[in-house]
Amino acid sequence: MKVKTLMGVFPIIFITVVVFVSVGLVTWTDSITTDKIEQQKEQQIQSMLKEMFPSMSEYTFEDDIYTIYSNGAGVGYAFLAVGKGYGGDIDILIGLEDETTIKGITIISQSETPGLGSRIAESSFASTFAGVNIDDVALKKDGGQIDAITGATISSGAVVEAVRTTAMEKVKSLKERK
Amino acid sequence: MSELIAIFLSMAIINNFILARFLGLCPFFGVSKKLGNAISMGSAVTLVMLIASVATWIINNYILIPFGVEYMNIIMYILVIASLVQMIELFIKRTNLTLYNALGIFLPLITTNCAVLGITLINAKESYSLIESIAASLGGGVGFLLVLIIMSGIREKLEIADTPRAMRGLPVAMLVGMLLGLTFFGFGGMI
Amino acid sequence: MGKFWKEFAKGIIISNPLFVLALGFCPALAVSTSVDNAIGMSVGVLFVLLGSNLIVSAIRKAVPNIVRIPVFIVIIATFVTVVNLVFHAYVPSLYESLGIYLPLIVVNCIILGRAEAFASKNPVTSSIADALGVSIGFFLALLIISFLREVLGTGGLSLFGNDLFTLPVLGENPMTLFILPPGAFLIMALLLALFRRMGVMKCE
Repeated sequence: MKVKTLMGVFPIIFITVVVFVSVGLVTWTDSITTDKIEQQKEQQIQSMLKEMFPSMSEYTFEDDIYTIYSNGAGVGYAFLAVGKGYGGDIDILIGLEDETTIKGITIISQSETPGLGSRIAESSFASTFAGVNIDDVALKKDGGQIDAITGATISSGAVVEAVRTTAMEKVKSLKERK
Repeated sequence: MSELIAIFLSMAIINNFILARFLGLCPFFGVSKKLGNAISMGSAVTLVMLIASVATWIINNYILIPFGVEYMNIIMYILVIASLVQMIELFIKRTNLTLYNALGIFLPLITTNCAVLGITLINAKESYSLIESIAASLGGGVGFLLVLIIMSGIREKLEIADTPRAMRGLPVAMLVGMLLGLTFFGFGGMI
Repeated sequence: MGKFWKEFAKGIIISNPLFVLALGFCPALAVSTSVDNAIGMSVGVLFVLLGSNLIVSAIRKAVPNIVRIPVFIVIIATFVTVVNLVFHAYVPSLYESLGIYLPLIVVNCIILGRAEAFASKNPVTSSIADALGVSIGFFLALLIISFLREVLGTGGLSLFGNDLFTLPVLGENPMTLFILPPGAFLIMALLLALFRRMGVMKCE
């Protein structure tokens, strides 16, 4: 009788053990990788900020806005934005020279159409934002200063929209800080 | 509301699961000429995608994230999907034996269908709310069903066509996939 | 030892997962947009296949039949999760590139297929050989596809950030079709037909 119940219950015991071992292994892996992942993210932000503000010596982060300093003097601000692109979210890093002018943008990640929309990640597109007044951040066809990429109007528009809206939002909260 | 429609259309047509994301290829290539079977298969997958999306959303937002164990998602999702398919299989067997026999081996194979696990991963990645997840999974499923129906119709013609020997079967089905993909790509300007 | 190499070689040609067994397309076609991705995905598949074949084979005599499939799934899912985390931590750009297709290895028919068809019925050494062989077969197939797609679709080849070469005419006007999803179908169709014509695989 005892053996029979054991045989019946063995599969359940077996799979429970397997699940426990698996969960243990995965949890262990997570614990040793989680710090590295955080580190990577921070490093990535740091190198992107440095590329945008070459004179940067340090930065602070408060209320989702990075304030960039160069040896004590403030040289600008930066923050993240998300555009609604053709193929999903477009992660953008926006840099401001001051409260009215864009320093530049960096496309962090996108899943737009390769060869067409994905060209928003090319420096030729991103560089058109440099030095532009926030109010002029719009596609040329909408009266702004940014040229859409041929064949990628939606992707270009998504970036423009995200930059304009987020920049205005952040400038507002910067003004409120003071 | 328009957000939801955009998600639905994007999943169904522009980023169609089979033609653009390459998810659910096995049933696509194996689909029979019979329209009925294609519809059954497509609907079954859509149903599983929908229920799985809801179930995994709940697990994600009430268990995984609160306890900080998001890394368990892959294991949890696949177990949920496997159990779901088992339950649906039993349900169909008890209520509609003809349908059960028609679907045959394809029912348990839905577990390994990339489209089902795919939609749960997409929902998590895009951090969709419950409603958005439902819209997305319906869109994905409907798109999947649509392509399956189209393919079953084309299959019929393919059988009688004079295909070069090396191209018969899988290769020419792939070419059809390419052409369908290009066509769907054209819908891009819609939203 | 001869048996080891026999199983190994089988995975590369006769049982080539992509071209012969026609398994595991989903992630393969999706990541074949660049050779970098192909390499990354293959490494992921190798690790998962190796791990799962090894464990499944090791416990094959003890696994009760009823829970066989769920146990295999849990084992595979574990290895996939581990690979996912490790990639996220140590090769984040590759991790971003592969996206959802890395975790999708868990439903890749190749892995479950080999566990069910081979590892659960064969000793550990043969299972390891099988895993290695099939992974290399997968890699070679994926390499061919992504090489063609990347060169034709972008006009050049770049490996881990280093531009290897850019072709003269294609460099400025690449055939974008190839880097788009339909292009993958096209390349796959042509390659399959080619291999069949060459007699490497049987026609239908």
